[in-house]
Amino acid sequence: MKPITANFRTKAAETLEDQQIQQSIEHVYTGFFKGRLNAAADTNNWEELRTKGKAIKDHTIANLDYYLSQLADNVEKNGGNVFFADDAEEARQHIIDIAHKRNIKTVIKSKSMVSEEMGLAEAMNKEGFETIETDLGEYIIQLANETPYHLIAPAVHKSRSDVAKLLDDNFSDSEPIPDATELTMMAREKLRGVFARADMSVTGANFAVAESGSIALVTNEGNGRMSTTVPRVHVAVMGLEKIVPSIQDLSTMLRILIRSATGQRISTYVTMVNGKRTVDEEEGPEEFHLVIMNNGRLKLLEDEHSREALNCIRCGACLNACPVYRKVGGHAYGWVYPGPIGAIVSPVLTGLKDANNLPNASSLCGACHDACPVKINIPRMLLELRYRTAEGSTDPQERTSSAKERGVWKAWRMGMMGRSRFDLGARLVATALRPFTRKGWLKKAPPPISGWTSTRDFPAVASKSLRSRLSNRLRRVK
Amino acid sequence: MADRDQFISKVTEALGRTSIIDPSLDHATAGFDSAETIRTNAQTAISDAREYSTQLADEVALAAETIGWKVHRASNAEDAGSIIAGICEEKSAKSVLRSSHKVLDDIVVDKAVTSTGANIETTAHDGKYGQSEIEESKAKAFSTDVGITGVDYAIAETGTVVLHPRSGLSRLVSLAPPTHIAVLCPGEVLASMDELFAMERNDFINGELSGSMNLISGPSKTADIEGTTVTGIHGPLEVHLVILGEE
Amino acid sequence: MVDQVAPSVGECTVDVLEYLGLEVVFVKDQTCCGQPAFNSGFRSEAFPVAKRFVELFESVEGPIVVPSGSCAAMVRNFYKDLFRGDSDLIQRSSRLSGRLYEFTEFISKFFGTQAINGNLKTTATYHKCCHLLREIGVDEQPVEMLATIEGLELKPLERADVCCGFGGSFSVKMPDISSAILDEKLDFIEATEAAAVVAADIGCVFQMQGGLRRRGSEIQVIHIAEALSRAVGGHAKTRHAR
Repeated sequence: MKPITANFRTKAAETLEDQQIQQSIEHVYTGFFKGRLNAAADTNNWEELRTKGKAIKDHTIANLDYYLSQLADNVEKNGGNVFFADDAEEARQHIIDIAHKRNIKTVIKSKSMVSEEMGLAEAMNKEGFETIETDLGEYIIQLANETPYHLIAPAVHKSRSDVAKLLDDNFSDSEPIPDATELTMMAREKLRGVFARADMSVTGANFAVAESGSIALVTNEGNGRMSTTVPRVHVAVMGLEKIVPSIQDLSTMLRILIRSATGQRISTYVTMVNGKRTVDEEEGPEEFHLVIMNNGRLKLLEDEHSREALNCIRCGACLNACPVYRKVGGHAYGWVYPGPIGAIVSPVLTGLKDANNLPNASSLCGACHDACPVKINIPRMLLELRYRTAEGSTDPQERTSSAKERGVWKAWRMGMMGRSRFDLGARLVATALRPFTRKGWLKKAPPPISGWTSTRDFPAVASKSLRSRLSNRLRRVK
Repeated sequence: MADRDQFISKVTEALGRTSIIDPSLDHATAGFDSAETIRTNAQTAISDAREYSTQLADEVALAAETIGWKVHRASNAEDAGSIIAGICEEKSAKSVLRSSHKVLDDIVVDKAVTSTGANIETTAHDGKYGQSEIEESKAKAFSTDVGITGVDYAIAETGTVVLHPRSGLSRLVSLAPPTHIAVLCPGEVLASMDELFAMERNDFINGELSGSMNLISGPSKTADIEGTTVTGIHGPLEVHLVILGEE
Repeated sequence: MVDQVAPSVGECTVDVLEYLGLEVVFVKDQTCCGQPAFNSGFRSEAFPVAKRFVELFESVEGPIVVPSGSCAAMVRNFYKDLFRGDSDLIQRSSRLSGRLYEFTEFISKFFGTQAINGNLKTTATYHKCCHLLREIGVDEQPVEMLATIEGLELKPLERADVCCGFGGSFSVKMPDISSAILDEKLDFIEATEAAAVVAADIGCVFQMQGGLRRRGSEIQVIHIAEALSRAVGGHAKTRHAR
């Protein structure tokens, strides 16, 4: 998928005006966010599980070379094939090659963010393979020719009438809008035929177990199970970070993933496969391929201040918690990963120059850090990226701060380096703003405060500073 | 194609190292329990499942019900048979597919289902499977009205049925038919996922890990349209858990 | 910000600390902890200001009380990033952090949440400022403190722990998003029908008050130090009184 991170501001502004989306997206708070809180409250060792989850991921990422190597060995031992792809292009081409070689006609796709990075479904359809998304949300998005809005609820911004129009070409606005059950049954009918005839599947991997070469898939709908059962070729794609060392780690990781994602104790289906079907089974794929993709992730790994982002298990909890995501929506972020996690990985994976608005699109409220099941300190990483865009990057292309902005902060620093200058600075600001000030507040101010006063009143500088007010009062002013 | 060795050496380099270090030397997470501990954990999981079977059966019944299983408590084999027959009748089932779990023989499920006028078949592997047999097996599963299985384990914490597909237990019998019935015997309920994964790991250490595993927790569902939960998308619309009492 | 724009908050902080029997020392050369520049990414500008902060406050003994969760978070949690590579400053700021407290944190830790027994006849609701809640870990303590005050009727605020949209430079750089978040907050505030909103960080106070004023609302947003000072009859002249 081609990043369009540079469009953040315009796309965000559009979404802020879209009443239907503003209403639809409320569900991420009332449904998912509250669901996670309830699930956490219902789990007596929740914080312990988070700590353990973080320890497992920290350890895995710190030894990623070892575990990747072990995983590849074990997948091969189980009779599967492993392909390491440096980028999305390489991964996509490899999967298309498999499909050509095996004379594939119909490909069913299970939800996978990594395959979104590859733009896989679109590319395979272009190559002539009937390629259909099977997660209901992804299916809706595919019909709408859009990209996912949310990590676990791709069509969260769509209304029932949107969905009705997508599922039924003849649906008109004058008809009563079908309810969610009717719409789901329409999709069930359409997709069951596809499952029955599919000869290849592409799934993601929620976790890959290094010691056994297994992959674990979590779904509520059952498309993950269909995908690992019906077609003769199963291809699983994963980012290189999606590893856990041991089977036992799944117990912890599944608990925190599922509770954080939907608030459920467990999803309807958790499927663990160790490759192709065993010799005594009646169904199951004859071939298993695992594609492990880099696509910029090593840039996250090599910097100790961004490495933690590879702990992400894609639960979407940070999106649900984020007040900014809930206003600007998923498409504003301009790439596969929206919300706070997107704001820290997209700039590194797709380029900070275009994505320079993403780290600034945050009030640093910390709700994402609080919600993260593996405790990724997202605000801290946003600050690192802001530093790089302001002045810190060694790549001049990435330093996108304006001369004016640099000047403002330089002046600010000079004002802060001595108390008399500080007081003088405040007087200067007060004087400059005096023409705009009425009763201690400004309704309209010149730049750089004009942005604030477009929607809010701005407080005026006080006539006397705290120091001068206290000087008559405190016995000791040091 | 990215060469594997090259790829992994780039990872090593990104970690700021020159060679791979064996991480078992500095590991603090659960994955590195000794084989002895793992065996003990697995044994404890099984003996606890037996010792606390009545309590765990009550717990799994409660958890299962909250996530959408229709739970039935059967006092004996005959009772279980008539519960299953009742479900088949209600669904007007013409074709039923069952696994070869021993419990289904014990409750004489074939007789119960046949008495409703439905046809019942056991999924089985005849030893010489090719693509055409696979296609046939798939087609049959997709056109079956009810799938019946035992359970390999259940999990009290989550209301989950665990199945390891193998000969006599196809992957689709619990997935493709619109109704799935699982029959649970006393002593098969584990307390939590910890116990299950301890046993899985023990199997792995002993080289006995099964090719795949499904954890099934209620009917297939989705909330992808306006966040409204709808039961039945790709898997069964309705799932029943028949819990056999102690005898 | 308190010093030049909301000095009453500082005065009220002094009122309350004196009410508790403490002697307050004001470090007269203080300016800023460096957070605004740090949060905007200009670490080279923030660095000397933060270093100056450390040096100034090292020169006084005893606990340091700041009436802002955000400033406290800067010193306690973010100085180690700002001072990266300077082990001396990291050590010194970490020592300083050990005796630096946010205002409500300080009171609840050393005096308890029931220590201030004043009287203030009004209805109020409490907004949980993000940095105080998540970086410092002060959650219900201020609510308990307000509940102790006689005559003060507390109204529960829906989504009290959701950000008001301030976020420092964010509120100026992305005003439309900041205001959209604020609007949701103000709707919930108005729904409480309280006469006042209490919050513990001046940035959030101005964001919410600025938005309420623009809406033409009469609701007053006050810093918790102001609320407590008024309750105990402190002599600070508050912003809204002038």
